[in-house]
Amino acid sequence: MTEETLATAAPSGPPELSDADIYEAMKEIPGYLDITPGSFKEVYRLAFRLARKRLFEEVTAAHLMTREVIAVRPETPVEEVAQAMGRAGISGVPVVDGENRVVGVISERDFLQRMGAKEGNFMSLVALCLKTRGCVAVPIKEKRAADLMSAPAVTVAPDTPLREILQLFDTRHINRVPVADAAGRLQGIITRGDLIRVLGGLK
Amino acid sequence: MSRLSEYFRKMAGTSISPPGVDLQEMLVSGLGGFVGIGLLALLESHLVAGTDLVLLIGSFGASAVLVYGAVKSPLAQPRNVLGGHLLSALVGVSAVKLLGPHTWLTPALAVGLSLILMHATRTLHPPGGATALIAVMGGPKIQQLGYLYVLLPVGAGAVLLLAVALLFNNLIPRRRYPEFWW
Repeated sequence: MTEETLATAAPSGPPELSDADIYEAMKEIPGYLDITPGSFKEVYRLAFRLARKRLFEEVTAAHLMTREVIAVRPETPVEEVAQAMGRAGISGVPVVDGENRVVGVISERDFLQRMGAKEGNFMSLVALCLKTRGCVAVPIKEKRAADLMSAPAVTVAPDTPLREILQLFDTRHINRVPVADAAGRLQGIITRGDLIRVLGGLK
Repeated sequence: MSRLSEYFRKMAGTSISPPGVDLQEMLVSGLGGFVGIGLLALLESHLVAGTDLVLLIGSFGASAVLVYGAVKSPLAQPRNVLGGHLLSALVGVSAVKLLGPHTWLTPALAVGLSLILMHATRTLHPPGGATALIAVMGGPKIQQLGYLYVLLPVGAGAVLLLAVALLFNNLIPRRRYPEFWW
């Protein structure tokens, strides 16, 4: 990832400290500190950047992922897939085969697109429903997960660093990515929410 | 044109002075300086008075400011105090031996080379510049010492100032010394 896309994917600089903040902090440390607030700020800025860079390499998919994943099988009827997603309040699930290998991902977008919403988002479906008479889920009835899922699934390995995961979310426009081991078996899932939580903690 | 204005803009400064210290810090610093320099002066008057030797030189006043007044400063740590004084003394005496004390070049080289050497060895200690200068301009009594100047007064004095700094600063609850040894 270039520095530029990294900057858009995450806070690029430290929260700005004022000279006055630093001055007040220095006053709380007894004894004479022979550094100006300006020099301190320079060190802080650079150290923050280095720490962020280091954390983006050190924090991996294994740290970020949720281990309890709701997944469906390729032969699961889409109605059941939708029910499972609705109950859990999630917008996407991995599809795994009999050996727990990730073969695809189904998200809201896959449903919406198959139901006629061209842009694949909820409001375009609402618009469609308002324009036509009633809402027609007919095209996808009787289908199974395998018919709707995006495949092959984009997955990451447990040791994939945060930096690469952010890049993946950015360039592939995805909202979640399953974590799979070398054999492709599902280990966990990382959502945008997980990334927001960890980046919030990095601030 | 913009390069010229940039040049002058740099002279305006960009930051603010660090905060001043409270009364306790002032008094403790003053007491430290009093004890450290007092010890050297006392030893000077009892042990070396009447001999050709010297113990107290001007640059120790500057070292006292750092080791008793700015104890957290990297410049005030043992490595810097000892290294800065010893190396600068060595440079100062060598400059006199090579060029004699009476050219303008001798003090300039003594201080300039001391600075380079202190930086190169991570022993920057501002009083070292004075120690180098005193080797050149300290008069016949100092010049007579030759390389002995490096050990006495410079080495011995620096060690004593450090010993007092170690004992004195750590008696003060809010102080600790040093930040690092080497």
